[in-house]
Amino acid sequence: MLRDKSLSNRIWNWLIDAVFIFFLAILIIPILFMFSASLLTPAEIYSMPYPWISDKPHFANYYNAVTDYGRDLTFLRIIMNSVIVAVGTMILSVIVSAFAGYGLSKFRFKGQKVAFLVLMSRMMIPFEAIMIPMYIIAVKLNFQNTYVGLILPFVMNSFGIFQMKQYLESFPDEMLDAGRLDGLSEWGLFWKMVFKNSTPAIATAAILSFRGQWDNLLWPLLLAQKETMKTIPSYLVKFTEEKFADEGAMMAVAVIASVPIIILFLTLSKYFFGGSTMYSSSKE
Amino acid sequence: MRNKVYSIERKKARWGWFFVVPALVFFALFSLYPMLNALWNTFHNVKLLSNRKPEFVGFRNYAYVLSSPEFWNSMKATVIFTLMSFIPLSVFSFLFGLVMATRKTGTKIMQLIIYSPAILSSVVAALIWLILFDPRGLANSAVNFLMQTPGIDHKWLTKASMLYMSTAIIYFWKYIGYFSIIILTGIAKIPESIMEAATTDGANARQTVCHIIMPLLKPTTAMVSIVAMLNCMKSFSTQYLFTQRGAPNAPLNVLTLNIYQTAMRDRNISRACVMSFVLFIIMMVLTVIRMKVSERKH
Repeated sequence: MLRDKSLSNRIWNWLIDAVFIFFLAILIIPILFMFSASLLTPAEIYSMPYPWISDKPHFANYYNAVTDYGRDLTFLRIIMNSVIVAVGTMILSVIVSAFAGYGLSKFRFKGQKVAFLVLMSRMMIPFEAIMIPMYIIAVKLNFQNTYVGLILPFVMNSFGIFQMKQYLESFPDEMLDAGRLDGLSEWGLFWKMVFKNSTPAIATAAILSFRGQWDNLLWPLLLAQKETMKTIPSYLVKFTEEKFADEGAMMAVAVIASVPIIILFLTLSKYFFGGSTMYSSSKE
Repeated sequence: MRNKVYSIERKKARWGWFFVVPALVFFALFSLYPMLNALWNTFHNVKLLSNRKPEFVGFRNYAYVLSSPEFWNSMKATVIFTLMSFIPLSVFSFLFGLVMATRKTGTKIMQLIIYSPAILSSVVAALIWLILFDPRGLANSAVNFLMQTPGIDHKWLTKASMLYMSTAIIYFWKYIGYFSIIILTGIAKIPESIMEAATTDGANARQTVCHIIMPLLKPTTAMVSIVAMLNCMKSFSTQYLFTQRGAPNAPLNVLTLNIYQTAMRDRNISRACVMSFVLFIIMMVLTVIRMKVSERKH
């Protein structure tokens, strides 16, 4: 649409393409660097010109990262923690969001508007502003160093609820009524018709919450100070503090931390982008 | 008959509540209560891990925080960092969104590449750049190559002004794709008919951009810049990792980091809560603006 065929315009377009491609190349370099450096020794990482691929890949970095220099396998436990916390939050958050989105879009009841506004107001409260009282509450409840404590504060997610509500608003009422006539209970209706047929919204909400927790540093830093209860981000900080000069091993940890999310992204990129539509979508 | 319809409606209303209640319970426990608790803390002197009963101190915590140079340094660091990252983010996300929207081939791969930094966790991002910004690292040699200044150390991690720059670069790098994709989706939502009408009326590319895309996209761009601003104000991981690795504290001590350290290192919960409250007020004002902007769209 924006392309007419005149020569000057074509030159412009080539120029824009060239600049943009150059920019994309710069953008991807740090990620390639991470992979490349994870197989180099510190001396190689800082040698100039930078040797992107070494003749003798330094696989010891991965061994050192996983076994903490042959000491123990805490890192595997850390990965497991991250998976449990991220997947646990994801499941609970998707169910709670789908519930709320369904209740807000397909039922009429007193106080509905208020309930919606209250749930959306969470967007206004930055986690950073409530983390300290939350920490004190969590300590009182003995949530320190527990999965429950790491998961529960992130179950309610305004973005997920909004996403589900938005999606379910266009869910055909006839289908629900047909289900009711067939004798399905409201509970059965939700699981058999609504939940089953909302895959795009559920996937978007699920990914939103999964990556939020996979990336979460602040809360685990406060709540899970015990070595074996750390998640990947806080472990990574600790690892870089202790192994001050072993950049190769650090990058190996970083690669291991990133691979799951990169695989998710490459297979489900549509739903990653789905989260962004929210900001640019109007109701119509 | 009428009664029956009425009771079905009532039954449905009950189910409506039933579905909304779990979210409300989580909200009450993990947002509302901590929020009120934070407010209460600001008027008492609460210490971490202390059994002493907190006493009421009125506005003393506020007075202390608002007159402490460390707090104002944090405000300064937060504002400088936010301005340095969200302005370029807003401008370039618009440009890149526009470029991607107008290319016909390779859009999918462009989107994947531009978005890829956004999927890495912020600690990983900060760590990669920590190594790149090392005095012996790639950032120095790239800049020296471009500016023909061999062997100069640009002190990315040690000089205050450079630290603002390097943290902003990391943030820009990580989030540019995220916001470009939002713009791209916004442009894709402009009805095809409007674009076609413009072309038949003989509008050229520049005119289409200036007179059609830009006005129609205004709510989205406004939204992007405010969301970007809010995210920058909450930034924590990069600054935390850098200070843990020995970078100077002052330019990195953004509000979130100051809150964390006041609570965990100084164990002064009340003062941390005062700062939390300041952060909350600022962000609430910005969010209200954002909501006003998105309402105007309808």
